[in-house]
Amino acid sequence: MPRSENVLPGRLIIVEGIDGSGKSTQLDLLRKWLVNQGYLVIFSEWNSSPIVKGITRRGKRKQLLSPMSFSLIHAADFASRIYSQIRPALQSGAIVLADRYVYTAYARDAVRGVNRAWLRRVYSFAVPPTLAFYFDVPLEEAMRRISIGRPELKYYEAGLDLGLHDDPYESFQKFQGLIQAEYNRLVDEFGLVRVDATESLVHQQQRMREIVRPHLDGAMRQPNPAPVDALHVAGLLGHQRSERNGTREVSA
Amino acid sequence: MNAPSFYGEHPPGIEHTPLPGRLVVIEGTDGVGRSTHIALLKEWLEARGYAVVNTGLRRSQLAGRGIERAKAGNTLDPITLNLLYATDFWDRLERQILPAMRAGMVALVDRYIFSLMARARVRGLTAEWVENLFGFALVPDLVVYLDIDIEHLVPRVLSSTTGFDYWESGQDYLPSPDVYANFVEHQTRLLAEFRRLAAEHAFTTVDARRPVSEVFKDLCEAIEPVVQSMATFGSDVTESAEVASMRPSLPGT
Repeated sequence: MPRSENVLPGRLIIVEGIDGSGKSTQLDLLRKWLVNQGYLVIFSEWNSSPIVKGITRRGKRKQLLSPMSFSLIHAADFASRIYSQIRPALQSGAIVLADRYVYTAYARDAVRGVNRAWLRRVYSFAVPPTLAFYFDVPLEEAMRRISIGRPELKYYEAGLDLGLHDDPYESFQKFQGLIQAEYNRLVDEFGLVRVDATESLVHQQQRMREIVRPHLDGAMRQPNPAPVDALHVAGLLGHQRSERNGTREVSA
Repeated sequence: MNAPSFYGEHPPGIEHTPLPGRLVVIEGTDGVGRSTHIALLKEWLEARGYAVVNTGLRRSQLAGRGIERAKAGNTLDPITLNLLYATDFWDRLERQILPAMRAGMVALVDRYIFSLMARARVRGLTAEWVENLFGFALVPDLVVYLDIDIEHLVPRVLSSTTGFDYWESGQDYLPSPDVYANFVEHQTRLLAEFRRLAAEHAFTTVDARRPVSEVFKDLCEAIEPVVQSMATFGSDVTESAEVASMRPSLPGT
């Protein structure tokens, strides 16, 4: 560890899985459940640091990224989120939900040939999660789900940089298969909680909540009711707020 | 000609075939005179028929401007900053340094991983983490360290156009609001790290407190044996009187 580790009072819950495993949907349902119970929930998404994501976007657009620079820039993005978002939230006692965590880097970068031991040492600054879920789905099922919602596969998303296949869809399938094999090793190595992602959406969510519930004691709650309550009390609809911020907060 | 050798594991995507070129690194703190000497050395090498490529920190196509923007915000923790510099470094190693060495050129590099390691160490990151991270770096044929002390450094930095820079004064991690005190403290710590690295990695240390001409002469003498056995393109470029007056007399010219 590059720095001394303090005990963090918050809870860190993360989800992992290949594209089309349904992990983001499940995490969103979990978030709504926690918010409704009054918990303060912070959400952190892979590749979203305001300081770093511009470089990553540029690298992807111009296809400048090699296996090593792909790995390094994602580590930078992750570090930035750890130190400016995730750690402070956990220090204050909040619940942090992360869509993808270090295991995504371990799986993807290893498939691109990056040394596994090196990766684990680079990411040693990561906070160990309270709970880590792995959404396990057969490759064919994940492919079926993805082919419905997605118009076109992007270069790095399809793993075209690996030269597995010229056709983006074929390449994507091979790439995801290799990532899945890496995930299976990681589940054992790090004790990730395996969720059968072929089960019904409701059943998966029930299972998740059962596992999360015992970890919620003493987690930070929202100090004040959300603004939407003020609107209800005053009998207002919140037109002004929704025009300014979009409708998301008001309808939540 | 040797196969490329790395500090750690051989990184993915890099061929194992031998490199006919040479990697020469000039290290040292800000204001020590690195860029002056890089310019003189480039001319000296080119006048002798070597093809030279030079590169330095934040000059990558991928992350150079991104780092400038991130640093302007002053909100960076040391690990993110280091990983951004590592990205910039790797991109230049892959796109500038290695291709030049494959083509039989001299890669003359203004600051390598050692400046980054020294900066990371003074900001509290462990040697273990930093050394693992930069294990992907190619081992240079020669590292010349330009050594200086605070007494000689301060007037040079003061007379430069930028003066005391926020990051080079350690303002991001030192508690005092006093820029001068922080500069002295930060640079003292950096110099100690550089000297430790110089001993550990057997750098050629050159005393940079002396006049440019004397330092340049030492640099030429250190580089001469490293490039001697390389193929040259023949000497079409004529060196300027300035360089000719300072370099050591060359055998066979």
